[in-house]
Amino acid sequence: MTQKFTLPVGPQHPALKEPGHFEFTVEGEIVTGATVRLGYAHRGIEKATEGRNWTQDIYLLERICGICSHVHALAFCLGVEQLAGVTAPPRAQAIRVLVAELERIHSHLLWLGVAAHEAGFDTLFMYAWRDRETVMDALETLTGNRVNYSANLLGGVKCDVTSASASQIYHAVDKLEERTRHYLDVVMNDDLLIQRTRGVGVMTVEQVDQMGVMGPTARASGVMRDIRCIAPYSAYVEFPIQPIVETSGDLQARFIVRVKELFESYRLIRTILDHLPDGDLKTRMPRRIKAGETISRVEAPRGELFYFIKSNGTDTPERVKVRTPTLCNLASVLTLAVGRQVADIPMILVGIDPCFSCNDRAVLLLDQSGERRWTWEKLRQYGIDFYRRQQ
Amino acid sequence: MTLDKMQDRLKIWAEETQTPEANRLDVTITVGNLLAAVAVLKAEGWYLSAITGLDYGHDADRMEVLYHFCFGAETLTLRVSAPHDTPSVPSICHLIPPAVVFERELAEMFGIVVVGIPNSDHLFLPDDWDNRVFPLRKDARLE
Repeated sequence: MTQKFTLPVGPQHPALKEPGHFEFTVEGEIVTGATVRLGYAHRGIEKATEGRNWTQDIYLLERICGICSHVHALAFCLGVEQLAGVTAPPRAQAIRVLVAELERIHSHLLWLGVAAHEAGFDTLFMYAWRDRETVMDALETLTGNRVNYSANLLGGVKCDVTSASASQIYHAVDKLEERTRHYLDVVMNDDLLIQRTRGVGVMTVEQVDQMGVMGPTARASGVMRDIRCIAPYSAYVEFPIQPIVETSGDLQARFIVRVKELFESYRLIRTILDHLPDGDLKTRMPRRIKAGETISRVEAPRGELFYFIKSNGTDTPERVKVRTPTLCNLASVLTLAVGRQVADIPMILVGIDPCFSCNDRAVLLLDQSGERRWTWEKLRQYGIDFYRRQQ
Repeated sequence: MTLDKMQDRLKIWAEETQTPEANRLDVTITVGNLLAAVAVLKAEGWYLSAITGLDYGHDADRMEVLYHFCFGAETLTLRVSAPHDTPSVPSICHLIPPAVVFERELAEMFGIVVVGIPNSDHLFLPDDWDNRVFPLRKDARLE
């Protein structure tokens, strides 16, 4: 009879370089149960928004995630503009979508590299990350930044597309499109990669609905859940996107959906640059936002990003609630890992393209009396004491 | 369209109904009717997108829990109020299992007791966190 073991994975490097803790119960090599523990990158951001003004909060919320930073700022700005009854000019909306799609390319290429690495295919990892530099350079040319782009303002955007930056983006997209054709060929036809992906972590339509799965992970199981299509926002109304849907529901389908989405992003970027509306980059916004509540939903690279924003009529928000797609998709990892081999765990985990910083967001550092902020020295000592108690 | 249908389906429990924006419907119900309303939304194919806690402070003696359900472009929010000193809502996990992560977050951040939650461990806060401090309550101090 096989003995049952509990296998802890993480919090350091649970298949990828972000912190999360999983406990898998295994019998031999087969996983029989799984639980998750988060919070290792929790920074108190939701609470912190309540102590800053609307403009400061853009920069704070943009730092929730280092990969999909723009989409957080976009969701927040769209929500606040909705509350204020202000609409950003068409050129600003188009530039917002342009940056969002460049960011999606950056994110999907980053994911392709990480997923290839987990499959033991480090050549693909290095090629994908090399090509990711191309899109990061394009983002830097357009916005001045490679990671936290700071493209958004309340009521518009900061950066404009010049002929020089447009030319660089066209060139980058042409180059990346050629590379992506190769990547599609690899994920569809490479025998070794197929052994790690085909038929692994299969998720049915019913499971997608039951587990509340979002984004490319849902679309790989035949569920067309893409906010850009079902509830177009910003310039996705004028520049619609064609959703990419696969039906096999396995890891290979998740690879194919994300790689094919790259082609759709290239097409959309060219269309926006070809038909970029003229006009202002921003409109006037009031400093105080009138009281009310709004919901802002956008399609992040990993799925639906949900913001609930409540204003009390002042220059600071009453409440900002952020629900990121990874939180919804994690449930699928816990379910799909059951019955699979231990070696499949990293692949199933990266299959949802998890982002733990997005997930954790918000640390509030109070001492036991709840009165003082912790100093760096005290935080360090807390860490030392904590791990000493664990021994 | 779908919202009109749902407004009709939920009207037996609705204490107040509002349409704050296009494609949005807010339905205020009592805690006792929450599970019945969630069951109807689930049966109609709506998915739970998020659970938001709101603290109105000691003076108002009120906390509110918002259950945001989505269907296509439409969002329906079930609003449930609870007293500030003894806030409590029933768990909806037997209807929607993935809601457990939202409920764990709600419980640890707001101190709202989720009755019947299958896993009441902290999700984000450390295991040795002072359980008298609920970070997202208005009286929690962030200095």
